[in-house]
Amino acid sequence: MHSVVGFAVFGVDWEFLKPYIVLGLALGGVYALSGVGIVVLYQATGVLNLAFGAIGACGALIAYWMINHTSWPHWLAYVTCIAFGGVVNLAYGLLFGPAFAARDPLVKMMGTLGLALILLGIMAWRAPVGGAFARFLPLPSSSHTFTLFGAFVNWTQVIALAFALVLTAVTTAFLRYTNLGTAYRAIANDREITATLGVPVRRVEASAWFGSGLVAGAAGLLLPDLITSLDYAALTFLVIAALAAALIGRLQSLWVTFAGGLAVGLAQALFAPYASLARYRSAAPFVLAILALLWLSRHRVVTITRTAR
Amino acid sequence: MAASRTPGQGAAAAARATFSLDRGSIVRGLAIAVFLAIAIFFLPTIGADWTTTFTSVAIYSVITLGLGLLYGRVGLISLGQVALLVIGVWTATRLSFATDLPFPVLLLLTGAVTCGVGVLIGLPAIRLSGLYLALITLMAAGAVNVVLVAINFPNGGGGFTGRTDTPDLSGLKPVARPSIAEGDTAYYRYVVVVAAVMFLVALLHVRGKPGRAWAAIRESEPAALAAGVNIVLYKLWAFALASFMAGVAGCLLAAQVGQPTAQSFQTQDSLTLLATTLIGGIFSLWGAVVAGCFSQLLPFLFQVQWGINPNFVLILFGAGLLQVLLTAPGGLAQQFPKDMANLGRLVWRGVGKVTGGGSGS
Repeated sequence: MHSVVGFAVFGVDWEFLKPYIVLGLALGGVYALSGVGIVVLYQATGVLNLAFGAIGACGALIAYWMINHTSWPHWLAYVTCIAFGGVVNLAYGLLFGPAFAARDPLVKMMGTLGLALILLGIMAWRAPVGGAFARFLPLPSSSHTFTLFGAFVNWTQVIALAFALVLTAVTTAFLRYTNLGTAYRAIANDREITATLGVPVRRVEASAWFGSGLVAGAAGLLLPDLITSLDYAALTFLVIAALAAALIGRLQSLWVTFAGGLAVGLAQALFAPYASLARYRSAAPFVLAILALLWLSRHRVVTITRTAR
Repeated sequence: MAASRTPGQGAAAAARATFSLDRGSIVRGLAIAVFLAIAIFFLPTIGADWTTTFTSVAIYSVITLGLGLLYGRVGLISLGQVALLVIGVWTATRLSFATDLPFPVLLLLTGAVTCGVGVLIGLPAIRLSGLYLALITLMAAGAVNVVLVAINFPNGGGGFTGRTDTPDLSGLKPVARPSIAEGDTAYYRYVVVVAAVMFLVALLHVRGKPGRAWAAIRESEPAALAAGVNIVLYKLWAFALASFMAGVAGCLLAAQVGQPTAQSFQTQDSLTLLATTLIGGIFSLWGAVVAGCFSQLLPFLFQVQWGINPNFVLILFGAGLLQVLLTAPGGLAQQFPKDMANLGRLVWRGVGKVTGGGSGS
């Protein structure tokens, strides 16, 4: 893949698309790591966290405030953003996790909708959006760029992709080789039996909430830089793209989730240069998720589930 | 309920069982009549902005009615009702600019269009279980929102989208209201009547054969299948009914605002709609009225009347949703009368103690 001269394969001008591929991979990295965070929590607790994006957005707004309105060092703001995600997620998990534990996954998911609404309300109240209020949260890593295959790449984009890769690999290894990871998998199988076997179920679940929250905070920190503006509504609905990735991975497989995240990111970015498609490119995650859902359910005839409990 | 009736009884007996004239139903009928009288004659006299708000309340109670039926009766959850509402508003606007159809025809046509869209979404989605169905409708709603932002609402142009970059705003008529209800107050009364008809349709469904089939499906799908309930038909029926109601609400909304814009619909609306529906109560039709009040009247009270930041409403909805899910699955419509009865009993006992010599501590 040498790139000094432009080349066309399948009638596509790859030279022209390069910057979009870089952007797509970086976005896809954030989607992938968010998807992994969602899948791990779902496996451990049965909760599909729809507040994932709102938590990240809240953390990012706090970091923005610390950078622009206080004289504290910037790294402290970044750490706070990530830690905020962990703490809020953990607090929700400790407060409401046990109460929802025996309920249907649908009800558990709607509980996190409540958390998302509360966070959205707080953000809309304390940090209203408006034409004059465009916020930016640039990371220092964005100002360092280098050229790769003839495309400009900045270090935030590298970090996003690399972090997603590392997170997926480490989580996979963690689930397979550590005691805590084994406990996660046992709870995913059957919570009651796991508890009978002497696993401290609540503590294990709390660790999942905390870990997943840290990932939410990190995603909230990385995404505003990649999409150039800090808009809490856009960040809140990051959860949709991440959900698309998680659904492609059947809410089970971390590596397929990773690949799904990259696919969603690439699809979203590669539509951008084509004028006729650009307006519809943000629909890419939705369409991919719908296709994944329909594909998953192709063999099912009767749904055996107890809802409305 | 009437689920245990043996087959072989005639339609007249079925009708009698559906609307039997015992004391309870007479009281309930009176309550509904008084409520409607207050809604039609007293509420519009409070003030102009109140009338507009109450129009929105009536419109949103129609759409929450559909959503409540879907979740409370059949156990299907849809996070995409706002998308159907948007499609309804769009269709009504487009049809109104293109044709001179009378308003009731417009209502039915819009309902038919969203009904078709709802069935189209529902057909493949029907085999998904609760969680996945909620997700696929959320995704569909998101996709509709993207398309809406791209093509926006018609503004008097030609073609399918009915949109032009150089609109002649001075010559653009708003979406036509019914000729008998041009003014705000008259239109409010018209909306209340349409909403009442929708509630009647819902009541007929719940009390009739579809309601029993839905109850069977909600309790256990395999058991319903074994009992000979046509699951696909009745699930699709519920979807179609809820979508139809969303379309009717969309048409009413289009005529209320006149010239709808994409900015007035946000992605988070589908979340707040679900939250208010659950807070209002999904097992009782009154819940839809409560939900309509919550989603439209409460923001108005906060913002215009009390001068509080309306975003507090979102926090309230979030907390209310958690509370309903954990402690009061019947929502306010069931919980409030129960709590009032308890309070009444407490007060009664307290009064008894005081008048009985004050022996209580």
